[in-house]
Amino acid sequence: MPNIGLFLPLALQSLLRNRVQTILAMLGVTVGVSALVTSIALGRGAQEAISDQLLAAGVNMIIVTAGNYEVEQSGGGGVEADHGSIDDPRVKQLLEEYLIAQQTYRGGFTNAAYYPNGQTFQNAEYSAASNPGRYLKTHFEDDPFAAHDHPTASERLGDSMAGLGAAATLTLDDARAIATQIPGVQFTASGVHENARITVDDEEGKQWFTRLHGTESDLPQIRSGWYFPFGDFLSRKQVENSEQVMVIGRVAADKLFGVGNNPVGKTVLLWNQPFEIVGMVDSQSWATQPTAGDDQFDAIYIPVTTVHRLLNLSKLNTITVTSESAGDTTRIAGQIKDLLRQRHGITDMMADDFTVKTQAEQLLGKGLSPELARVVAGNLESVDDLTIAKLSQSLERANGTMMVLLAGIATVSLLVGGIGVMNLLLLSVTQRTREVGLRIALGARRRDIATQFIIEAVSLSLIGGILGAILGVFIASGVEEFFQWSTDVSILSTAIAIGVAMVLGILSGVYPAQRAARLDPIGALRSE
Amino acid sequence: MSVITLENIKKTYYLGDNTVNALRDVTLNVEEGEFVAITGPSGSGKSTLMHILGCLDRPTSGKYMLNGNDVSGLPMEALAEIRNRQIGFVFQGFNLLPRTTATENVEVPLLYSRPVLTSAERKDMALSALSSMGLADRVDHHPSQLSGGQQQRVAIARALVNNPAIILADEPTGNLDTKTSIEVMKLLQELRKEKGITIILITHEPEIAAYGTRIISMRDGLVVSDEANTPREDFDETRTAYKAEPVVAAAAVE
Repeated sequence: MPNIGLFLPLALQSLLRNRVQTILAMLGVTVGVSALVTSIALGRGAQEAISDQLLAAGVNMIIVTAGNYEVEQSGGGGVEADHGSIDDPRVKQLLEEYLIAQQTYRGGFTNAAYYPNGQTFQNAEYSAASNPGRYLKTHFEDDPFAAHDHPTASERLGDSMAGLGAAATLTLDDARAIATQIPGVQFTASGVHENARITVDDEEGKQWFTRLHGTESDLPQIRSGWYFPFGDFLSRKQVENSEQVMVIGRVAADKLFGVGNNPVGKTVLLWNQPFEIVGMVDSQSWATQPTAGDDQFDAIYIPVTTVHRLLNLSKLNTITVTSESAGDTTRIAGQIKDLLRQRHGITDMMADDFTVKTQAEQLLGKGLSPELARVVAGNLESVDDLTIAKLSQSLERANGTMMVLLAGIATVSLLVGGIGVMNLLLLSVTQRTREVGLRIALGARRRDIATQFIIEAVSLSLIGGILGAILGVFIASGVEEFFQWSTDVSILSTAIAIGVAMVLGILSGVYPAQRAARLDPIGALRSE
Repeated sequence: MSVITLENIKKTYYLGDNTVNALRDVTLNVEEGEFVAITGPSGSGKSTLMHILGCLDRPTSGKYMLNGNDVSGLPMEALAEIRNRQIGFVFQGFNLLPRTTATENVEVPLLYSRPVLTSAERKDMALSALSSMGLADRVDHHPSQLSGGQQQRVAIARALVNNPAIILADEPTGNLDTKTSIEVMKLLQELRKEKGITIILITHEPEIAAYGTRIISMRDGLVVSDEANTPREDFDETRTAYKAEPVVAAAAVE
């Protein structure tokens, strides 16, 4: 190990001797490193923007839904849906109500996944009637088809819609288990989903039919593309206390209170109960535009605990889960399946009583927004068989292309900087031939001489590199400020840039150092 | 005891098609405490001999014993350590580093000492070497702020700082006026007398060679005469005159 402390003062002294040349050579490194830092910042910013948009679109999202609508297709270990049960008068009545509601509420049942072709009723009927052990009941009304000896939620609350869609097999404890037992899970949010009519609590009494989501406070973290122009999302405390508070989607808010008006603090009626609006949610992603019936922004959000309290329920329709990385969704989906089967006591011969779907599958099924599709499809050979694997591959390729481009720019500018450093050192070796000869005569070994020049090169490029990193950070923030490009300056990338400057110093110092170390001391001492 | 023993040393240079026999056959013995002056015209081989004695170059053939060790076959890395520890060099052009203080100049050999010395140790050794040369009040001066004689004394301090067995002085008075040259010769004589350091002096001036205890003359790569000498000692009256000498800019390492 060369003694750096010994030679560093010597190196700095000799750099100071050629002040102007030193500053010019240093400037070369500074420009190179600042180019590197700036381009990494821009590249990472662009990458992050793309991946933010993808996450906003829910690529890392897994949705666990109560019930299993694919039981017939999957064979389900010998379980068959009992189609005959549709004749049951209670089911018939509910189905009719459902169909009427669907017509009445302008197709408000947009989330058809919960009620595909009315199959829910068949399966639910099957489960309730012929497999009671499977259908865990905590509250009477968890089973919408059971006969009640007390007023149902709809009767009690005076709203025929109340409690209609809440049949479910998932519990809050299932959600807790997923959150705590499966590694790589980022957030979970329990959900009860209903169609609901909300009424503004004033003389005019404007109404709107929309989607109701009973949920938890982490939902905005899951829907990373959300922002709140007014107020905020439900707090942990509001959920714990099952308060009658509501976050309203922008589409619903626009309809009820007029475009751009602040709905926070207003009171609306839901199931004839007063709810205070505490926030309004809007999309911040170009990949997702709020539209009527979109289930996200044409929607209202209230604490899941409030839904349970008002409707006498204990079950959930969905558990929404996000993975820490988008590439992990398939594994986590599999583990959720295993965990829930175990918790629900489902044996190998039986079908799941829930459905686990990754949002990516649904997203691809629905089609991507044109902008997102362009980003993705631009890197794919065939759009026809777009899979989640190909989607992530495509993004990796886009990132790869970007990184190669940036690396190219940075390499060229650093190369120029390195040539400058090497040039200065060669000049220095020539100027100091006599000094080198003297040092060798006085006992310096070849490697002592080489070390001295390499330390000179490294300290030169290190100082230049640190200045360049600072300059690069300023340029990046300037670009962000004036051109509205997103940039991302990380401590890591700055450290890498400075490290690269150091390596550059070593590389450009090697040749001059070797030349110095190989000088013949006799000739060097005679030189003028 | 013999400090230096040379046996049939030959040095041949090949310059293109020409063969230069710089040293043809030199056999020499130097005892501890001798002050040997080697003289001869240019091309006589005295500089080549000096380089071999100083371990800056290796002989083509022959045997060189330094302090009882055969150094003629050692690799350059080992020779660097021998130069550092056993040999003090005093050069004609002073060879002080410019824009560097006297102390730092004297510290240069200490930078390459093994084991590594701390900066405090280096500074102490450099300061005591400078004091012994009467330069205690000049330690922070740069070479350009010192007279020619003072510069040469800094160079001698640098040669002495590692307590070498021999001092090799290559035309040490070449850039100095007569008074200062005599002053430097007196210093070298004192070193020999007081510390018993062996001194090898290369010079082409007979009056400078006369300060040695032994004078060796060379010609065409051979020793032509080797005689004991009664050293000249007529320097006492010049000593005060030297101190009044104005500061002159001298050639320095660039």
